[in-house]
Amino acid sequence: MTAVQPPHPTEQSTDTPERTPDAVEAGTTAHRVTKGRSRVPWRFLGGRAVFYAFTLWAAITINFFLPRMMKGDAVTQYLSRNRNVTPEAADALRSLLGLDTDKSLWQQYVDYWALLLQGDLGVSLLHGLRPVTEVISQSLPWTIGLVGFATIVSFAVGTIGGAIVGWRRGSRLDALVPITTFLSTIPYFWLGLLAIALFSVNLGWFPIGKAYGVGVSPAFTPEFIGQVIHHGTLPAVTIIIASLGGWMLGMRNMMLTVLDEDYVMVAEAKGMPSHRVLWRYAARNAVLPQIQSFALSIGFIVGGTIVMEMVFSYPGVGKLLLDATNAKDYALMQGVFLVITISVLLANLLADLAYAFLDPRTRQTEG
Amino acid sequence: MRLSSTLGTIGAIGAVAALALTGCAAGDTDSSAPAASGAALTIAKPDGTISTESHNPFLGDSSASKYGYAKVIFEPLALVNPTGDLGTTPWLAESVEWNEDYTALTVVPRAGVKWSDGTDFTGDDIVFTFDQFLNGTLTDTSGLNYEGATVDGDAITLTFADSKYVSQSRVLHTPIVPKHIWENIDDPNTDPLTGEGMAVGTGPYVLDNWSTESVTLIANPDYWGGELSVPALNYVSYGDNAALTTALVSGEADWAQAFIPQIEDSYLSADEDNHFLASPTAGAGTLFLNLQTEPFDDPALRKALAYTIDRQAYVDIAREGASTPIWSVTGLSGLLESEILPEYAGEEYSVDVDTARGILEDAGYTWEDEALIDPDGDAVSFSISVPAGWSDWNTEQALIAEELDAALGIEVNVDQPDWGGWDAARQEGTFQAIIHWLEDTGNAYGLYTSTMDPKWIVDDRAQFNFGRFDDPAVTEALNTYANASSDEEREAALEVMQTAFVENVPAIPLGSHPLLGEYNTRNYVGWPEEGNLYASADPTQPGIVQILTQLQPAG
Repeated sequence: MTAVQPPHPTEQSTDTPERTPDAVEAGTTAHRVTKGRSRVPWRFLGGRAVFYAFTLWAAITINFFLPRMMKGDAVTQYLSRNRNVTPEAADALRSLLGLDTDKSLWQQYVDYWALLLQGDLGVSLLHGLRPVTEVISQSLPWTIGLVGFATIVSFAVGTIGGAIVGWRRGSRLDALVPITTFLSTIPYFWLGLLAIALFSVNLGWFPIGKAYGVGVSPAFTPEFIGQVIHHGTLPAVTIIIASLGGWMLGMRNMMLTVLDEDYVMVAEAKGMPSHRVLWRYAARNAVLPQIQSFALSIGFIVGGTIVMEMVFSYPGVGKLLLDATNAKDYALMQGVFLVITISVLLANLLADLAYAFLDPRTRQTEG
Repeated sequence: MRLSSTLGTIGAIGAVAALALTGCAAGDTDSSAPAASGAALTIAKPDGTISTESHNPFLGDSSASKYGYAKVIFEPLALVNPTGDLGTTPWLAESVEWNEDYTALTVVPRAGVKWSDGTDFTGDDIVFTFDQFLNGTLTDTSGLNYEGATVDGDAITLTFADSKYVSQSRVLHTPIVPKHIWENIDDPNTDPLTGEGMAVGTGPYVLDNWSTESVTLIANPDYWGGELSVPALNYVSYGDNAALTTALVSGEADWAQAFIPQIEDSYLSADEDNHFLASPTAGAGTLFLNLQTEPFDDPALRKALAYTIDRQAYVDIAREGASTPIWSVTGLSGLLESEILPEYAGEEYSVDVDTARGILEDAGYTWEDEALIDPDGDAVSFSISVPAGWSDWNTEQALIAEELDAALGIEVNVDQPDWGGWDAARQEGTFQAIIHWLEDTGNAYGLYTSTMDPKWIVDDRAQFNFGRFDDPAVTEALNTYANASSDEEREAALEVMQTAFVENVPAIPLGSHPLLGEYNTRNYVGWPEEGNLYASADPTQPGIVQILTQLQPAG
């Protein structure tokens, strides 16, 4: 734990002058930190890169085969959605939708990779045969914008709050933990409906849903941005409320563990200012597991929150994926899965890197 | 009716929740919406965000088709009423006339009609639209089998390879598109028509604004059908039925087609101007039985079921009033009363447990501890299957299970698979009983072809006739009916089909399949209503143009 404890030569020298050199030499990790920080951990990064490349290949392969193991096919789904189409026209539809091929699964797999490498994700059967890239690009910004913002705010507020609650254990602030945990156990759709009923229908402060108003076109004008914020407030706030409890509880529990550590006691005993002990000594160590969960949740942002999208009629990737799955729209499903896979992997990669620099123990193999 | 969405339960709870909280306050919000003329109508769907722009009327999943605004841009030759008198109203044609065997349609294009870009509409546009099917640029998804057109003065005669008697509306509802624009389109099947001046039609409204959140159309100033009271239409799609219901109650949305649970409490009571119209069609929610396997390979058991299942309960409880019960032994709904043969007129099933038990006793069934035992000595039980989330039919499953257990001692398993599993079972014939809709042809043929016609089974996969009824005499009668060149032939064929249906009970129609519409009379009046069903109140049907031309500012 002393690893990330920054050296404070002046204070330490006054407290324990004769032991200082021994401590630096004996405290092996502290010694390595200064060395490690000056070097790029190539072997570590290389190992991770290979691992990620393999994971990406495996995920894309599974994305390809999994939908094809589901029952039913796209044409019967199309017929059930479009009652004005006669079942006799199924063959004509198959050729229209490009499903009349008798290629083997292996050939399709090879073709899929060839197209994928050219950036061609195919056309979405569910969205008027428009390219999958176009369909996803219409929804992705809304998901990333809203859910991403809400996740970051929730993480920041929860972590900082958790640190303070943990620091002041036993005080009235402790009540925050059961309250936020209780809020996050409320089923999200219920919370959303309550918020709509109260703030939209009864009080009329916020619109019922959607990302912006009827008859408005996206543009970089203050009016439009204002609309987006106005429409996004309820979904964002409900997501934050629903997810705050986890962050706060996790951080507070880690704080309690860290606060029992000797170096915190020493820091306090030395008479260091409380805010310094809290943020530089205790919170800095306690936040490490939080960062890992944060990286994971960043990855899952892209998966969207289907329930939020349904309750608030908000555009996003989650409903896109649900509808694509129901409609056996392979191209769109694969496209969305691909985006999710890549973002989860990217988030993990970032977390790995952040960890490697924050916590030297993870790259001790470097020697 | 698939609108009972996948998250039906959430929808139901949501609607109630929203209401419980809003209470009467919801009723007051409409006072903020001024009842002035000139208000736009907001037409809502529960399909989630429709984020990809495509105005192509021929593509089932384009945004124009999903929202339904294709129907107010592109107009058809004539409108066939799916309800009421089932009549045909000429629209872009001044007259439409079929020949005797319904293989040729003669139309006279309406004079004085302009495309919304100012070009005159002529017969060339009609011929061009249909010729796209002929030369293969447009996929024939409606199975028109169009063969060509001949022009004689004003009159255009379109000919088809087979009789269109049972699919008149498919021909007549084909959207007519402008030749001068579409002849330059490379692939009319998939073109999104998003370019400047591409989405041009003869319809009452023209596209004004398209965004991922809503679509706005404004009244076409040169519309041939006269002045329009409603200056603009907004099309909006909400996340699910619950969100849609909230929007309808609060007045944010005006017009929708949705199955709303507890509609009286959740929508109608919120405002006296709110209206709900369920217009019956010739289709019906029908219990299909698998005739190939036990226990339903025995007609006696099927007949006993027909005397046990309470159709009124289906209408009142499962469909919450949005349907009409079907009791006739011919399986035909009230709308098709004129097609019931004289010998079956007034012959109706009823909930009559004694008759049902009598039929079973005569066929050798016995009871043991109140459980029904078939002549082979096995207890009778079966599974009834409906996809999870189709809340209306899920309720009916439970009702049937209760009724059959109490009245006949049959153990019924309620099975709620996902769509894929249900779909495979119905196609491959591995189910025992399912509830399904019928092919709607606007006449008695729809019921009989859906339940008894082997033509639906291709490569051993059924699109209809899931029970796999196969009687050569009936098949011949069905073919004769569809291709007949005279009414006498059709009547004779109908007699064969109807008799076979009454005797064999291949399926049990429960209640008519309605077209639903929720609308309000705050700003406009003249909507279709009980007793004046000139169209259904469903805004996604072609008849929407009739409604929009009928609407007048309220008081």
